[in-house]
Amino acid sequence: MTQTTIDARPRTADRSTRFIQEDWGRRIFRVNREAFRSPEVLDDERRLIWDRSWLYLGHETEVPNTGDFKQRTLAGRPLIFARDSMGRVRAYLNSCPHRGTVLCRETEGNTKTYQCFYHAWTFANTGELVGIPDPGAYPPERGFAAEMGLRQPPRFENYRGFVFVSFAADGPSLKEHLADARDYLDLMVDHSERGLEVIPGTHMYAIRGNWKLAVENAMDGYHFSPTHVTFVEYLKTTGYVTSDEGGRAITLENGHSVLVFSGHGGRVGMQWEPRFGEAQKSLTEQNVKRLAGRVGEERAKRIASTSRILYVFPNLLLFDIEGLAARQLEPVRPDFTDVRAWELAPATETPEERELRIRILGSFIGPGGLATPDDVEAYECVQRGIVATAGDPRPAVDWSDISRGMAREAEGQPARNVDEAGIRGFWRHWDDVLSGSAPR
Amino acid sequence: MIATVTRQEVEDFLFEDAALLDAWRLDEWLQTFEPGATYEVPTTDRPNEDPRRSQYYVWDDYELLSARVRRLKSKHAHAENPHSRTRRLVTNVRLGKADGTLLPVYAAFLIYKIRDGNVDQFVGRYEHVLSTEGGRLRFWKRRAVLELEVLRPGGRLSFIL
Repeated sequence: MTQTTIDARPRTADRSTRFIQEDWGRRIFRVNREAFRSPEVLDDERRLIWDRSWLYLGHETEVPNTGDFKQRTLAGRPLIFARDSMGRVRAYLNSCPHRGTVLCRETEGNTKTYQCFYHAWTFANTGELVGIPDPGAYPPERGFAAEMGLRQPPRFENYRGFVFVSFAADGPSLKEHLADARDYLDLMVDHSERGLEVIPGTHMYAIRGNWKLAVENAMDGYHFSPTHVTFVEYLKTTGYVTSDEGGRAITLENGHSVLVFSGHGGRVGMQWEPRFGEAQKSLTEQNVKRLAGRVGEERAKRIASTSRILYVFPNLLLFDIEGLAARQLEPVRPDFTDVRAWELAPATETPEERELRIRILGSFIGPGGLATPDDVEAYECVQRGIVATAGDPRPAVDWSDISRGMAREAEGQPARNVDEAGIRGFWRHWDDVLSGSAPR
Repeated sequence: MIATVTRQEVEDFLFEDAALLDAWRLDEWLQTFEPGATYEVPTTDRPNEDPRRSQYYVWDDYELLSARVRRLKSKHAHAENPHSRTRRLVTNVRLGKADGTLLPVYAAFLIYKIRDGNVDQFVGRYEHVLSTEGGRLRFWKRRAVLELEVLRPGGRLSFIL
């Protein structure tokens, strides 16, 4: 279960761009804070990232039945995430092809058809325009109805239940985009022979901070001890022992990165800790034994006993920790981001394990957890704090330092999860995309 | 022998609850819970789902609630250090049908949370269950259901709802 550090860029390459200073001689990596503040940067990001990259839309089990639908906004565009009557998972623009009216006004539900209230055009949940009042007013020979079906994002792909769309007609396939991140996604999906399912109940909240601060925070093991001291204190009262020995930060291709916590504590259904109660102890052992029978000893050990936080560029964070969670980032303004977060679970687990999973993860994660609010405080304090240095021409003043761990890295040692290597990998890719030197 | 509880007594209890929380007198506030009681806040898209099968914003058993209070009293609870100013308006109080010494209580709330130049509003309803054991009111289940569609623009429930 050793992970190799994959980094397309030679570790010693320096760069000096409008946004990034990387100097391996001085072991310096800095990010221009304008990247968090500027409306023009967000415009560029919309054009070069959000309108071109693969974006995580949702998990297929959010729409389990034919006819199910949910509204979802992605890259600022209103969408319908649905399962049609043929059982296919779909994404439609939530905008009537006729005049652009928002078509579906229920936040979620089940339907065979979508009808626009404005002029009563009716669409099958498979996308075809099936009803227009007074259709004789349109010339039949034009094939009018055929070209006025529901509009879809140009590309749509499903990787093991995780559904992505792209608003660009061409570009790398989803598998090419995910690249090495697939391995870590697979480790999460392989918890169960029937894959994962989303637990009902979505955390939907806003943060008064730039979306990239949420990426940095998730790829930053360094903040855990000081920021989450009260959560760690709570864990200690439950008999939990934290250790980050052997934890790694791994930079993947295409801006993705992952933190690995190999000395981490409990994982519901996979690695027992006292907080889970005695009854779970033998059940967990049986789970892991069954897992080993299915995927082999070595892979079972990797799945069961290491925790991971995976960032999939640009809008998805996957938490494979005490429990499983997915978090989606949606930039609204340079200083404002919408977040949606779901808890995932092995489709095959028992009701008791499900209940425990919900309790354990809920104590940590989300706006009402004992830890996430302090992360939100951190993003928001950065966003307010970096105004102080705006426009300051002195060197290094209006730049954030992301150099932690470069000295170790330069000596060829693997990056620890309490270093900032994963964050650097993100910024390099981001910088390549914004400067036009990366394909997406 | 089940004591009869009046709406006025319940209102007094809820107003005192609001006053304790607005003053951040959390130790005294925790004393208004029966040991074994729970505190829960469902998500805005699944307000009626069973917490055993659904993600919640808050689903505290008594132990976790006690840990939450310990945390909020610490200067390291960064999200609430310094504390938000809050002012809770609790109204439209109704009593449900008692089951033994357990009395369902419904009310509307509007909470203003003020911090860092922002005034955030949290509007919703309480669906509490109070214990009337010994003629004394205490929380058996404290449940706050938000009417908000999304936690926005203020996205944290770092304070008690």
